[in-house]
Amino acid sequence: MREPNAVDFWRGLALVTIFVNHIPGNTFERYTYSQYGISDAAELFVFLAGWSIGIATRNRDGTPEPRLKTVLRLLSRTIEVYRAQITTMALALAMIAGTALLLDNPLLLEWHNAGGFFADPIQTMVGFVLLTHQLGFFNILPLYVVLLGIAPVFVLIGRRSRLAALALSFGLYAASLVFEWNLPSWPGEGDWFFDPLCWQLLLVLGFTAQDWSRTSPWLKRWAHRLVPVGVLIVLTGIVLSVLELRPDPLLVPDPRLVFTFDKTYLSPARLIHFLGVLLAFQTLYAVLAPRLGWVTTFLASLGRNSLAVFSIGSLLSLAAQLVRFWTGGGVVVDVFVVGFGLFALGFTAWFVEWRSRKPRLSSP
Amino acid sequence: MALPQAASVLALSLTLACLGGGRVALGQEPSAHQQPSVSGEGETKPAPAPAAPTVVSPPSVSPLAADAEAVDVTLSPECRVPGSKLYTLARLVAVKAALKEKRPVRVLAIGSSTMGLGASATYPVKLETALERSLPDVDVVVESRGLQGEIASGAGERLRGMVAELEPDLVIWQVGSHDALARVDLEAFGSALDETVQWIKGHEIDVVLVSPVYTASLAKDTYYTNLVRKVQDVALREGVPLVQRYEAMRYLAHRNDKGEGHLLGTQFRLNDLGLRCMAEHVTRAITLSLLQPDPAATGSAGRPALTLAPPKDAASVKGPPAPTGP
Repeated sequence: MREPNAVDFWRGLALVTIFVNHIPGNTFERYTYSQYGISDAAELFVFLAGWSIGIATRNRDGTPEPRLKTVLRLLSRTIEVYRAQITTMALALAMIAGTALLLDNPLLLEWHNAGGFFADPIQTMVGFVLLTHQLGFFNILPLYVVLLGIAPVFVLIGRRSRLAALALSFGLYAASLVFEWNLPSWPGEGDWFFDPLCWQLLLVLGFTAQDWSRTSPWLKRWAHRLVPVGVLIVLTGIVLSVLELRPDPLLVPDPRLVFTFDKTYLSPARLIHFLGVLLAFQTLYAVLAPRLGWVTTFLASLGRNSLAVFSIGSLLSLAAQLVRFWTGGGVVVDVFVVGFGLFALGFTAWFVEWRSRKPRLSSP
Repeated sequence: MALPQAASVLALSLTLACLGGGRVALGQEPSAHQQPSVSGEGETKPAPAPAAPTVVSPPSVSPLAADAEAVDVTLSPECRVPGSKLYTLARLVAVKAALKEKRPVRVLAIGSSTMGLGASATYPVKLETALERSLPDVDVVVESRGLQGEIASGAGERLRGMVAELEPDLVIWQVGSHDALARVDLEAFGSALDETVQWIKGHEIDVVLVSPVYTASLAKDTYYTNLVRKVQDVALREGVPLVQRYEAMRYLAHRNDKGEGHLLGTQFRLNDLGLRCMAEHVTRAITLSLLQPDPAATGSAGRPALTLAPPKDAASVKGPPAPTGP
């Protein structure tokens, strides 16, 4: 078990934020940082995933591990994430159906895109395993599966030339923005909620930044000098989101996705805002960590076990939504569901580490 | 012309005639004086246009029965609901313009459960078929999208993106389920919905709202019934047609009540029926809304776009002033 570090800490914060934001309407929603900026926790999560790939595919002394090993490592991680997505989706659908039966309430079947599964199970079952049928709030892991699946290409190119990897990634991003390329949803019409062709840019930025910062004092120096720019961007983001100022998608010039604030396509405004957040907060961990005490330990433990914590977190968010609906909500219920959820996230992280520490019992 | 079509044309023109004499009903069940009988009041001089009415709730359009509560026989037997329970109407300017220009009508259907039973009978497909059947010689293209999230927090924004992407003439929006499930603040829901509807209309795109489902376990949930009413309020205030799925399903529930309410799954069968009927109900509301008097028809451009309605009827109707959103 590694000591708390900045990456795990921020990833833990992103996980907590995603958990709270996935219980819409709850009292604590307005206290998450997603409400005060153009980008949100999803960007942070994907960027840090890229950063972690950078760490994981190199030895401690910074020499890259053999290429085949990297490919296999990423493949194995892709399978792990895919498995997590299938499991959580199955449990989520059962939770929705079970609650609908229990409360004799078919309205619940219309829960964020679940309706298709219950109305048309034959096609939707196929879409379910192909990841083209996604429930609302359960659409980050499919993105992650695709990103990890294509990551070897970028990692291996990046070993030859970081610039080439970045150029390829940015080219794909820009083309997808202009031509509105996205993966299709099926059954039903429409596209993925998170467009992997655009969001891959954050992953690639994550691992190239990790690699660069390892070797280049120049990057670190400039990152520090640009802190004021980051702060300015963050302040602008606060003003824009509090006043709800954003471009009208029918009035902007073509290609419109370049100008709107679009989450699906990670529009440039979101990207710039996220880079601003990164610049503004890059050194904050060193200041916060010693002062926050157990909070640092807690968040870092979540970040270390992000896949398990994320999976359990999405199920807990759904459970919290169902409880809020059933009870009618209110501050007391919110304190209970969010409090219980945070405890359960912490327990999940602890449990995963306990299980891996424990010497394996012989199979029954 | 096939007989059912002839009947529907007759029904439509009669409706139109009624509208001249009919007064406005505000999204509620019309009371007796708002129900001109089909036979008599069609020829009466229209009353002076009231100050700010927006939504006209027509009487039964059945050519066979003048009874206000009679079911609408143009619907399939299992979906028959009295018109007063089913919809409130308002003008659809953009769709009319598309009809006038003889170009395909592009429809964006947005909703939480956009699918029906089986591949060939999905809601968008049914909607497209039903619309094309009731608007002969018109090409209707229906695109459908699921919309995750609450209007009160961000879904309205995503809807704008979808509208910008597809640039439809008409948005049919099943609204409220997700906000109800999250029990968002009703005021926040109402103002966010209002704002989004205004935005769509502001870009000269028509909107039809569809209220959330009825189910017995929520019939006494005041929050839920208030949310359904909020959707009605917004439809009324913004002058957009509303398909009252809640009212229609409640009607169907009571009609189909075979005293087996205690059986597990009764509500689910009703829900299924509601889904199956939705395309028909939406189509009915749209077709009738297209017959709403065009404000231009009272001025120089006297000819209505829709050939279904005899022009003289439309011209004789001095409709209320253009219901535009604030």
